[in-house]
Parts: sequence; C-alpha cells; structure tokens
Amino acid sequence: MVTADKLNELQLEPEVPELDLSWLNLDTEWGVSAEPGRKGLTLQQINKSLYGDIPATSEDSSARPRGAAPPEGATPRMTPWVLGDATETFSDSAGLLYDEAVSRQWSSATDIPWDTMDELPEDIERAMVQLCTSLTEVEFIAGDVPGKWLPRIAADHFESGLFLMSQVMDEARHTDVFRKRALANGGGLLLQGGGGGLRQILEAEDFTQMSSMLHILGEGFVQSLFRLGELIAHNEAEKRIFRLAAQDESRHVAYGVTHLKYTLENDPEKAEEVHWTLDMFENTLVDPDQANPGLAGALVYLLGDGDVDEGWRLFWHVRRKQVLEYLHRLDVAGLSGRLESGRLHPALAGALDEN
Amino acid sequence: MPESDVVKAAKERLEQSGLPSDWLDIPVHWGVKAKEQATPENGGLRFEYLNVDVYGEVPEHWDNNTEIPRGAVPDTRTEQMGYSIFDKAEVWSDLCAGLYEDAIAERWNSSADIPWDTLEPIGSDMERAVCQIATLMSEYGWTKAQTTGRWLQEISYGYIEVKLFLGTVVFDAARLYEVWRKRALSNGGGLGRGGRNWKFLPLTQSYTFSEFCVASIMHDSMLLALLRHGEQLAQTEAERSIYELCQKDIERHLAYFVDHMRYLMLKEPVRREEIHRYMNKAEWYLAKDGDDTLYSALGVIMGDGREGAEEAMADVAELRREQIETYLGYLTECHLGDREDRLNEELRKWAGIAPEEEVEKIPV
Repeated sequence: MVTADKLNELQLEPEVPELDLSWLNLDTEWGVSAEPGRKGLTLQQINKSLYGDIPATSEDSSARPRGAAPPEGATPRMTPWVLGDATETFSDSAGLLYDEAVSRQWSSATDIPWDTMDELPEDIERAMVQLCTSLTEVEFIAGDVPGKWLPRIAADHFESGLFLMSQVMDEARHTDVFRKRALANGGGLLLQGGGGGLRQILEAEDFTQMSSMLHILGEGFVQSLFRLGELIAHNEAEKRIFRLAAQDESRHVAYGVTHLKYTLENDPEKAEEVHWTLDMFENTLVDPDQANPGLAGALVYLLGDGDVDEGWRLFWHVRRKQVLEYLHRLDVAGLSGRLESGRLHPALAGALDEN
Repeated sequence: MPESDVVKAAKERLEQSGLPSDWLDIPVHWGVKAKEQATPENGGLRFEYLNVDVYGEVPEHWDNNTEIPRGAVPDTRTEQMGYSIFDKAEVWSDLCAGLYEDAIAERWNSSADIPWDTLEPIGSDMERAVCQIATLMSEYGWTKAQTTGRWLQEISYGYIEVKLFLGTVVFDAARLYEVWRKRALSNGGGLGRGGRNWKFLPLTQSYTFSEFCVASIMHDSMLLALLRHGEQLAQTEAERSIYELCQKDIERHLAYFVDHMRYLMLKEPVRREEIHRYMNKAEWYLAKDGDDTLYSALGVIMGDGREGAEEAMADVAELRREQIETYLGYLTECHLGDREDRLNEELRKWAGIAPEEEVEKIPV
C-alpha cells in the first residue's frame, strides 16, 4: 500500500520559473491608446499607427500578432504555406465586417418566433422542407470552406482571418436554422440537393477564385433570394429566418466584393483568372445535369403558393434580380463587362430579358 | 403512407410544367414537430429538440461522403466532398448540441460588453506586463481558431452537432484573439513579444481529431487555470470582465473535449496508448517552449512591478502548479487518470511531483 505520508513525502515544491525581464525593454511602438466610441471599442479604433499598417507581403507563418516583437531564439514554421501576399486574402472592409458580425449575432433558438408557424397545407409544407433540405446542405459546405482556408491566412492580415472565423459561425447557424425549420412543423428532411457547384468551391486551391465563387456568385444568389423571402415565407418565423440570414449573407458578399476589389487594384492581371473561374462556375450553376431537382421545383411551387405558372413568373423575377445584382457586384469590384462582352453564361444573360 | 390528393395534384402541376416532382414522392417522416418543445422556459427551439425519430439517430459509422443532411434521402449523383471522419467514436460527445446552443446564448461582444472606460493608467511596468500577457493570449486565440477551423472540412454531416459546436469554438477563439489585442492597444501600451510557438505544433500537426483534442485539453486547461486567477491579475474592471468572459468560453470548450475523450476511451480503449503518445508529444513541446515571458509577466503583475517580481515568482510557480493539476484533473475525467504517472519530467517539476524514478521506489 502506498501511504498518504509517503505520497506527501513525494510532493515537492513546484519549480520556480526563471525570471526574464528583457521583454520590458522592447523596441515596439509604445503609448498607443484608444477610446471606445458609439459602438464600443471596435477594431477600427485600435488600428492605429504601426499596428494599423497592413504589410503588402508577410512571410510570417507564426501566430505572432501584427506589431508584436519577434520572439528570441528559433521558432517553428506553423503551416506549410501561408498566403502572405495581401492581394490573396485581404479586404479593406474585413475588420469592419467582423465587428458587424459580432454585434449582429442572433440565435435560431430564441430569435425566431417558432410559435407563429401554424400547420401548413401538406403540399406547401413539403415544398418548404424540401427547400430547407437543400439550404441546410448549401450552408454546410459554406462553413467548411472558410474553415479550410483559416490556417493559410497570415496573422499579419488578421482582419480577413477574423472575418472568416465569423463566417464559420454564421454558416453554422444557417445550417442549423434550416434544419430546424425542416423538422419544426410536421415535415421532415427530403431529397438531397446533388451538388450544384458546391464541390467546385470546396476544391478551389486559390483563395480569390474560391471567394469569387462562394462569396460573390454563390452567396450573392442566395442573398438575393433571401431578400425576397417574403415571397416564399408563409409565416412570421420563416420571414424572420430569411431576413436574418440575408443580413448575414450581405456581410459575406461584401467581403467577397471588397476582397476582389483590393486584389484587382493591386494585381490587375488576376482579372482574367477570375473571369475563367466565373465562366466555369456559372456553367455549373445552370448545367441541367448539376441542377438540384428538389430545389427548383420546391422554389417555384412556394413562389406561386401552389400555382406553378405564377411560380415560374416569380422565379424568373428572382433570377433576373440575382443576375442584375451579381453584375453590379462585379462592377463594384472592378470586374465589369461580363454581360457586354458576351462572357456571361447565356442562360443567365437570358434571365435579363424576362420581366 | 398513401399519397394525399393535394400531393397528387401538386405533382401533376409540376410535371405539366416540366419541373421535377420526385421530391414529393419521398416517404417523409411526417409529423416531426420540434417546435412543440420550443418554449421560452426550454430556451426556445434548441438543437437538442430536433433529435427525434430518424433525425436523432447518430450512427456509429456514417457512410456518405457528401454533404447530405442526416435523415435526408440521398441523390446518388452527388460528388464526394472529401470528408475523412466517418466514425462516431472519433468526434462524438452527447453534449455537443447543448453546448452549441449555450455558446450562442452566452455570446458576448468585445466592443460593447467590456467596460473599456474603466481602464486607467497603471504604471509602465504593469502596463507592459499586461500587454505581454495580452500578446500571448492573442496568439493562442489565433492558433486555436485556425487549428479548430481546419477540422471542419474533415467531419461528415452525420455528426452535424459536433461541427456546429466547433463553429462556436472558432468564433470564441476569434474573440479571444481580438479582445486581448484591444486590451493591449487601448491603455497607453502596445503589443509585447511574440511567443516561440513551439508548444502549438501538436495542434497544427495533428493527424487525427482525437490527437487535436488531447492537445487542446492541455492548452485549454492551462489557460483556464490562469483565467481563474483573473480577480487577482486584473488591474481594472475591464480586464476582470475579459478574464471572466474568456473563462466561460474555455470551460465550454473543455466540456466538449473532455466528454469526447471520455467517449473515445469507453468506445475504443485500445487507443489509450496511442493517445498517451500524443500527450507525450504535446507535453514535450510545452516544456521545451517554456512560456518564459508569460510567467515573467505574471511575476511582474503579482509583484506589483519589476522590483517585486523576483519574490512573486513563488506565487507564479504555485499558479503554474495549478495549471498542471487542472490539466491532470481533466484527464482523470476522461478516464486518463494514469497520466500523472507518465507526465513529462519537466512538467512534473512544474507541478511539484517527484520524478518518476522516485515514485517507483515506493513499496506497493
């Protein structure tokens, strides 16, 4: 038997750490302070002097915060490669969008008035849960993608990293809220969507290409749809879901647009590469073989509230709005002319002729 | 279930219009009404309440490599999405869904929820010490978000609750990064010296999720023990809030990591030695890294300035001992209580535990 006395005997004084005060005399910028403003203490308010200088390139793969002094001694490489060129990931708005994301978080458990959902006619309930099945899938991938890229973001460009971290959270909530809607009102989950370009976003090996597909085209289309959620929703709960999710998507789209703008301003040669990416992704989105069989049918059915002809009319109204807003976003980002040059996929260009 | 007239009519209308109607043929699990549990007293419609009928059946092995939602009907044309985790034992904890909702309910905002206006000049040495700690906290937040985020693309939808919860971990870690950066840059100081980062390698290099989890248990429990001293370390109300809010977040993360490892040890006890190897590695890097600037900065704060730092190092040593005890305590909770016998020799010194060869001399 080991006795308590014996164990006590083996309990030693803890070793005292060595005291090293060399960090008290660092040559870093000192005397920086910030006052909270109307929205509190935001990232913008602390982005001052040296700490606000965004390096055009960073070779630091460590976690060292921008502006901190380097450690003494050898340090390991934290990731095999880091996207050190600011044109690869940066956006002037990333910090602002992160701050906004933090202040606009919502809860799918308590901020949706679930009690406003009355029993719906069977066909409408089925159409709604089919739409939600497709949407929970889409949002699932939309959360995987920023997660994949996080380890490659340079700590010197932390604003983009923080934004992507907030996107991971937003997409978790979207995955969750559409699953909740599917299971909340007597329906269930229906038919899987079948890809629809999600794989292309996931497999992209260039951040700007990925962002053009995910943030600008993919989430742009989703945002345009959610903003018309009033046309689809049948109760206050569904309206609120679309409204809150659209608000989140707006931030993601804004990041994509401002990132592309920053990239094209600093690396104009990237434009053709992005055009190629969009050529490919537009083609996937309208390819009948890639089409999500449940999504289109359910959407048309819901838009027309069971009247399929009316649903089609409204579908084209939605599609036209999606394409117009997409082209506008590209204009803002500095990638104009896809329509005029005939580069926009004909199936999307054709939507502009619809009324 | 016989097809109702309304569904038949809907199919006809869709088919006449050239639209697919297969989705109306799916034998749904009709009647699942999770909303019935969504009362204010129950915390609204929490994710746990969705886990009914087939939707709540979390399989031991998930055999679909697409993004198909658990409980939906597969479309066999869908491309594989590259997930690599298909076994429940590798990621699961029954607590996930609840912790996910708790994280959202307990969310906070570093801009508005910290009383920044309580910051006041605290003297140069103290400010530098606080800023040095803030720098290292930011580093860990950054690393934690990056390394947690990378696992999302590995975990299949079968374990959706885990992914949702990890999403909150990423977001909490972002806040850990930025709240401490804000502290460093808001009170007349600036950032200090970056850490050497060797200790983070077990997080960045992990090949399996459970390897990542044990490394996270080590880092998070060390951090938690430090955050629990917030009352003693904080110089202002603002810092007190930061310590307190970060502590809540880290406690949630640990609840998951520990419960998952407990689950793994019960389901796959054969992996015990493998897990010990991961801990050997994590501890070795931690010991080698040393975190000197952290403990020295704590010495300055506990000593109320550089003059008192030398004397305060005994208190710092005590805090470091608590860190190791906290780590070992959490390991005991996940059926890895034998770790104390195998703890890294350097960490044994930190904890004041006799070297292993001394322990072996005890007659049993």
